[in-house]
Amino acid sequence: MVATAPQTAVRRRRRKPRESDTPTVGRSKTGTAVANTVGVLFAIVMFFPVYWVVNTAFKPAPEILQFEPTFFPHTFTLDNFKSAFNAPFFQQDLLNGVIITCGAVVGALLVGFLAALAIARFRFYGRKSIILVVLSVQMVPFVAILIPLFLMLQKVDLTNSLLGITLVYIVLILPYTVWTLRGFIQAIPRELDEAALIDGASRFQVFWKIILPLTGPGLVATSVYGFIQAWNEFIIINTLNDQAHQNLMAWLLQNQTSRGTFWGPLMAGSILTALPVVIFFLIIQRNIATGLTAGAVKG
Amino acid sequence: MSVVDSPSAPPAQQPPARVPAGGRARRKRRSATSGGFAPLVLTLPALLLLAGLLGYPLVRMVVLSFQSLGLRQLFGDLPATDVGLDNYTKIFTDETFYLVVARTVGFTVVSVLATVLLGLGVALLMRRVAAGVRIAMIVAMMFVWAMPQLVATQTFRWLVDSDFGVLNYLIDLLPGVDFANHSWFADPIQGWTVITTIVVWAGIPFIAITLNAGLTQVPKELLEAAVVDGASAWQTLRSVTLPILKPLMIIVTTLSVIWNFGLFTQVWVVRNGRPEDEYQVLATWAYSTAFKNNNYGLGSAIAVVTVLLLLGVMAFYMRQMFKIGDVD
Repeated sequence: MVATAPQTAVRRRRRKPRESDTPTVGRSKTGTAVANTVGVLFAIVMFFPVYWVVNTAFKPAPEILQFEPTFFPHTFTLDNFKSAFNAPFFQQDLLNGVIITCGAVVGALLVGFLAALAIARFRFYGRKSIILVVLSVQMVPFVAILIPLFLMLQKVDLTNSLLGITLVYIVLILPYTVWTLRGFIQAIPRELDEAALIDGASRFQVFWKIILPLTGPGLVATSVYGFIQAWNEFIIINTLNDQAHQNLMAWLLQNQTSRGTFWGPLMAGSILTALPVVIFFLIIQRNIATGLTAGAVKG
Repeated sequence: MSVVDSPSAPPAQQPPARVPAGGRARRKRRSATSGGFAPLVLTLPALLLLAGLLGYPLVRMVVLSFQSLGLRQLFGDLPATDVGLDNYTKIFTDETFYLVVARTVGFTVVSVLATVLLGLGVALLMRRVAAGVRIAMIVAMMFVWAMPQLVATQTFRWLVDSDFGVLNYLIDLLPGVDFANHSWFADPIQGWTVITTIVVWAGIPFIAITLNAGLTQVPKELLEAAVVDGASAWQTLRSVTLPILKPLMIIVTTLSVIWNFGLFTQVWVVRNGRPEDEYQVLATWAYSTAFKNNNYGLGSAIAVVTVLLLLGVMAFYMRQMFKIGDVD
């Protein structure tokens, strides 16, 4: 750590100007104009579906159901949101979703933090295998374990319950939680632990008074990502639970299959369902990218 | 990151001569190795949960794949009957299996290539455009990235709706083209084009933004030197930029392969939960077999084969993560 510090400083000092002024050598004006045009077109094409959801959600039904679409609602209405909100099971599923998601996030954080602590701060037999397990379970296609999971939970009467699905979601987000928290804890200089230990603090006090407060931002970012994952899941819950125990995503799925498609309410429901995720995501997006590829970007 | 992490590397691999301050490092090592029962206690809850709800189901899946289990056993509370390799024989002698595997692999190759190449293109473009344009690109991509898979798929279902979808209207505007009431899913090739578009559209932001971050690591001096030496833009890209991006490219490509190979949501939703034969991929096929046809044994066998097919890619990903040094 001590040896590498000056190196980092140099790197940082040199990188600054590079980011602000892009190299201009060998770049023609026409080339830049073309690049800008393509960039704008790309942004429009990417954003179009998002815009179209919002556009549709505020239109009355007759304006939606015409071949020649209007690119802005001629008559602005909130009816679609009302009918989505008052649709069968919407409010129930909203409540379920909040309970399940929060339960899963809290559970995964508690369990995950302890495990991350062990992996980041101790060397012990089997440590590498635990990392291996944590990394690999993230990649198993969920369908693979869905069949035995269904049979298993059915046997112990945990299907059609909020508890069963919460446990499943804890496990769903646990690997990522452990993995990211491990990174955050490792970023805390070990010297801090040592100083506290020398000053007579117990191991527990070190965790409680030094590591936990310093991991604060990491805990927030990790729990938000866990929230997004649990909130977005709908296939497992749709398979394991009956209609009274679904979440909002599963509601969005059933809303489509059971009674044809009412595009207005479906788009309004989509917005309501996606809103918390989009907001949270925009807040923590930086951490998500680094979590998935951590270490691959090297100076 | 790996540079900063190196003091915590296993002490055995570190010759004392290379340690700058001997005493300091030794103290660090001791605190890193000690712990006694603490790590065990700390990891126990996580291990128990993972073992119970992931490990056991995985084992059970393998066991199930050698059994016959249907509704009769499930509701009659009868034990599953062992059928040996019957499920596997059934899969490997079924022509559908080879078609489904070919379709899954084909989709994976096309969608990953498209996502990575377009993502790389966008990342390079982002270095070239004006600041305002770059912000517009990032904002658009953030919204796309944040969109839940299900919501994104529902949105595209609406965009390509045969009666009132905006896509048909826009294509219909072209002179001499009649796309009114065009159904995009009647022809599997068009249907797969739509599915691939959804996946690529949703996948570009992660890759473009990650690679763009990687591009900031390419030293400006090297690029300028290349230009001074008379290298063309293509030569600079191939010989300077891409080699530096390579580790990052490998990671995002591998992740895309793992994700896209497990394609489920998009197919499931655009086909209303009942994919026709031409739309089945491995994940949907396993799911339909188990939960729609109530053949849990056969479904498990398909799932096992799916995992085995992915195993090579997963091992490769893991090796990369270890090699890069993030896992110490």
